[in-house]
Amino acid sequence: MRRGLLAAVTGAMALAAAPPANADIANFDLAARIYTKWLYRNNDSQGLLNLGTPHPDGDDYAGDNGVGTEFELKFFGRVSKYVQGYARIQSRFGELWQDWWESGNRWYDGETNTSGESGGMNHASYIKLRGTFVRAAIPIPTIDWVTIGSSDLGMFNPWSIGKVRYIDRDNAKGIFLDGHVGDGIFSYNLAVIALPKLYVGPYWSTGLTDPNLPNPFWSADWAYGAKFTVAPSFGTFTLVSTLTNDVEIDRSDPDAVGSLYPDCTDDLGNPIVGCAKDHAVDYFSRYMNSVTTIEAQVEPLSWMSVNAFGGFSAGLIDRKLAANGVERMAGVSPVVYKDTYDFAVRARVELSDPFDIGLSIKAEYFNIGAEWNSIFGARRESDVLLTDGFLEGGQLPTLNLANEFVDFDEPWYESCIGWHGGTLVAQYAIGGFDMSAEGTYMTYNTNAQDRDVETTYPNFLHEDGFTDTDLYDYANTTDRGRDPRSVYHLNQDRRTAIAVLNARYVFDVLGGLELSTKAKFIHDLDYRSHTTASDDYTGDLLTWRGKVGLGVAPGLLVEAGAQIDRWWEKRRDGTLKTGYGDIDTAKHRAFAGLTYEFEGLKFRYAIEFLDKDQFREPRKPDQHWLVFRSKASLEVNW
Amino acid sequence: MRRLVSVIAGVAAATAAAAAIAEPVVSLKDPAGDDNGPGAYTYPTDAVYKPGSFDILSFDVDVKGSDVVFKVGVRSKIEDPWDSKAWQGNGFSLQFVQVYIDTDRKDGSGTCEGLPGMNVRFRSASCWEKVVLVSPQPKSRLQSEIGQKAAKMKAGVVIPTATRVDGKTLVATVKASDLGGKPAKGWGYAVPLQSNEGYPDSKEVLTRKVNEYAGQHRFGGGSDYACDPHVIDMIVAPGQGGADEVRMQHSALKYSCDDQDKPKVELPMVYP
Repeated sequence: MRRGLLAAVTGAMALAAAPPANADIANFDLAARIYTKWLYRNNDSQGLLNLGTPHPDGDDYAGDNGVGTEFELKFFGRVSKYVQGYARIQSRFGELWQDWWESGNRWYDGETNTSGESGGMNHASYIKLRGTFVRAAIPIPTIDWVTIGSSDLGMFNPWSIGKVRYIDRDNAKGIFLDGHVGDGIFSYNLAVIALPKLYVGPYWSTGLTDPNLPNPFWSADWAYGAKFTVAPSFGTFTLVSTLTNDVEIDRSDPDAVGSLYPDCTDDLGNPIVGCAKDHAVDYFSRYMNSVTTIEAQVEPLSWMSVNAFGGFSAGLIDRKLAANGVERMAGVSPVVYKDTYDFAVRARVELSDPFDIGLSIKAEYFNIGAEWNSIFGARRESDVLLTDGFLEGGQLPTLNLANEFVDFDEPWYESCIGWHGGTLVAQYAIGGFDMSAEGTYMTYNTNAQDRDVETTYPNFLHEDGFTDTDLYDYANTTDRGRDPRSVYHLNQDRRTAIAVLNARYVFDVLGGLELSTKAKFIHDLDYRSHTTASDDYTGDLLTWRGKVGLGVAPGLLVEAGAQIDRWWEKRRDGTLKTGYGDIDTAKHRAFAGLTYEFEGLKFRYAIEFLDKDQFREPRKPDQHWLVFRSKASLEVNW
Repeated sequence: MRRLVSVIAGVAAATAAAAAIAEPVVSLKDPAGDDNGPGAYTYPTDAVYKPGSFDILSFDVDVKGSDVVFKVGVRSKIEDPWDSKAWQGNGFSLQFVQVYIDTDRKDGSGTCEGLPGMNVRFRSASCWEKVVLVSPQPKSRLQSEIGQKAAKMKAGVVIPTATRVDGKTLVATVKASDLGGKPAKGWGYAVPLQSNEGYPDSKEVLTRKVNEYAGQHRFGGGSDYACDPHVIDMIVAPGQGGADEVRMQHSALKYSCDDQDKPKVELPMVYP
């Protein structure tokens, strides 16, 4: 008793001597953020986002002119040494500063009126629970953590279950087990994840709006993932296996809502043998996608890294439960409308400055099957190949790319399904100078003649020409080139060469004066139909960009630059019946930016002028764009 | 054919000569698996903090012309999960190395406090004159952070002219003149590895906290008070990577939160 009293007094004294308590030393932390964005362009669209959802009935806050603010609050709770809690609440981003009084109370279906409540919930800045998790170090052998709730799914890989895009970072929810055996040489991650009811299946959903399903059922749709890692001293070996399973009710079950046989009789009134109500409903799989990958990463020498990757993808579709999205949605579908099976292989060798003279070499071989698909793979913000590709952002092995909910200054992603080739990159760095040169040559496993793009393979409708990511529109009213997901064509016999040169020098002036340049050339050749040479496509793309950045003062960085694009495309688009037309494109872009950081405040500003000419005559009239646009953001975190 | 042979021989000779010139003036090793600070620190629980990301294996200093090149090797491939290009960064996201250098080895000379956020200090006989920041953050952000949170130390802070990633190695190039000259015999080095925190505490220079319990983006195994050293791994003498250096590191970083008046942990310098 006396010892207990002494301990209590000692503890109280220790606490008294401790520094003043703050959020860090309570049993939870709070983190908050206020983010404001200004977006302006010389057009008449109003909103806060350059490209919103491509769904025609989707958000109503996308547009090029507006300013709005969002607030976020995160709670990190330390319940005990072994239990944590997390929650994030955030306001809806869509209310313009001009939207005074918007309560989201009413929606007048687009009608403009003076009620002050005409914008709907998208413009009301309401606070929403965005994510929660409870994480516990349960004392079960080998288990490190059990997480129940939100996750960004970053534990697998982009080929199988990919890390979700930033805006979805807390949307995925499930049960996750992380553990290890021994000193971490063997570790594992297991997961059961609720499938999003949109996008992870035929018809861009797990049943919702599918015309084949009068009673779509999505609350029992799950993905399952397992990752096993063995990491001896000489390398890391990883096996990942995942399955997405979209289930629907058995409509022949008499207990099912909308059953075909609610009273167990057929159309003629005859009793169905074996049919009986049992107050339970059977399920069928509407669509399953399984991806298994194995990856070896070894470092035989201190300056050498070897990565070998192989994978198998399978997609199984029940045509009775999944309507034909390829046919009904003009070829815009995230799945091939049949069962698919295919392999992918990638091997990469990196020599990191082997001669200690600043020269590093990377070489990669890639071969991704024509019918590979990662339905729940990474949709953006990841990159599986070394090459710069056609688009600068990254290449991903899925038809489910998400080049949406982005502004004009964000990177783009393209599908690399069917790509087969190799890349060699040389990098040289010495002092403040570094440069890299890339050479890539590839052909396509998707090359085929008379491919069925009407009912089986999605071509995403717009399949020709270099993609103009600067002036993209979903409906393609501006002839912006092919959809980055368009990998299947009626007739294709294509090969591509890519060359990229990057160079940068940093002078030790003020906060650093950086000069950088990038030059890129693509030669894209597609013989298309073997029956004629009149449709043979040749595309040559030349891009040059130069940029200067200067750290003017502590926390203040300014930059300016220019970019020139010249695209020459012979027989760019058309049909065998109508013939093909040539299109040349000239783009000039001048841009400037500013970043200022001060005591936790971050301000960014970017402005650009874009002049584009698209020479299409005589088949179509020429087009011209003259665009000024800018984006600024102010962010504070505390 | 003879010409080809002579060209190859020439290239080989030039390469060998370059390699000879590039012989490091300092080359230290650190054992694998000691990325646990004083012995109990654990990584944050988010998946981006991959095993080995904060486990130093080597530290080299090269002289190349008027430049000094610092190389810090870690156990796992250095990745860029937070897309540093988007914030004008240097091609990596997670690591933050501070290379403290004692250039005069004079008692009482130099700065004896570590940068804010590290919770460390140095013995008076081995305080530092220069500290090189090997960070993913752009120079302007580092200047801003130092100006606001460590203004008194500003004269000794060296921000590299270039910082990059080479596989599992962080490479930072510094002008020798910024260090007061080329590395000389007798210089001492302390190389603690921390994690880059883009949203740091208002008094800490871009460092990630170590708490009692690990969080999604907090190291665990330490203290919620500022009595624990925020050092995940470091080089200790003799810098040969022996198993005994694990024990020495744990001993060097041992801390107590019982007595708040007790000075912070003193980081040992290594004098190669």
